[in-house]
Amino acid sequence: MSDLGRIGWTFLWLSFISIGGGLGTMPEMERQAVAVHGWITAREFLDGYTLSRLTPGPGMLVAVFVGHRALGVAGGVVAGIAMFVPAALIAAAVARRWQTVRARPWGRTVERTLGPIGLGLTAAGVVTLARSALVDAWAAGIALSAALILLPGRVPPVAVMIAAGLAGALAARYL
Amino acid sequence: MTLVFTWIGLSSLGGGRSAYFYDEVVARRGWLRTDEFLQDFALSQMLPGPNFSNLAVALGYRLCGLPGAAWALVALVGPGAVVMLGLAVLYGHGWLGPGLETPLRWMSAAVVGLVAITAGRMIQTALRGGTAVLLAGLVFVGVGLLRLPAVPVIAGVAGLGLWLNRPRPGEAGA
Repeated sequence: MSDLGRIGWTFLWLSFISIGGGLGTMPEMERQAVAVHGWITAREFLDGYTLSRLTPGPGMLVAVFVGHRALGVAGGVVAGIAMFVPAALIAAAVARRWQTVRARPWGRTVERTLGPIGLGLTAAGVVTLARSALVDAWAAGIALSAALILLPGRVPPVAVMIAAGLAGALAARYL
Repeated sequence: MTLVFTWIGLSSLGGGRSAYFYDEVVARRGWLRTDEFLQDFALSQMLPGPNFSNLAVALGYRLCGLPGAAWALVALVGPGAVVMLGLAVLYGHGWLGPGLETPLRWMSAAVVGLVAITAGRMIQTALRGGTAVLLAGLVFVGVGLLRLPAVPVIAGVAGLGLWLNRPRPGEAGA
């Protein structure tokens, strides 16, 4: 398989195991990109995820970042298409039939099974990111402060990220 | 419709916000009823693939059929994808390099706080019952703590979950 094909295939199946949200895909995406294929380092993956949170649109755009690091612009485009388009086709196809499926008993069984799996994956995603990000006491302190500020739900997440970035710039200069 | 979806895509900084969709499509414009929205929302959570774009596609499909679904995806993901590619190019050239290293590290740390809150909220709202806790816990330990490959873990836990949650004859309202 060509490198481009390998990128397309990897992100295609990653998109299909993303149950319950983008965050839940991060453990396996990181494993594939860092450990299995060696496209990027764990640090770069974390940087990419952080940038994707600063970018409009879904956090899973980190796929574009990984693809680009692996194989340039073509890699980024292929990764993005593989991640979003086939899954969207399925969503469109299922959307019309969903009501009938849901009414059946096994529809409920599937919902009750995939729901908790998605939640477990999401929690695992937090661990994956924390493993690379919490390198010292500073980082741990910032993560904790950010969580406390965001807990009431009044401050937009992006404001907290930008504040952390500015604080980091000041720290780099004066500490 | 294209304009609204593009706007939602652009304004969803820091990760997808399904609530934006609700405000724009149901509350402000009245294109859909709340129960229609909730159905599409439940669907987008279940389907494989990024939830936020799945929701856009399902809503777009309901509003304008297949063209609506296609435009929803392009409008929602396109702009962000272009920005992300641009940032990746800058990063690749090292222009987001030495001077910005500490700010990026600190932002990453803030992201960990952010995702921890997000995950906590999701679990608090949606995790109900002993079976659900067991399934979520197995996935968390396997994929998160032990760093096992996700596919076999998901497959195994899904099998267990389907069996534990199997339809029972006596159950009402299934």
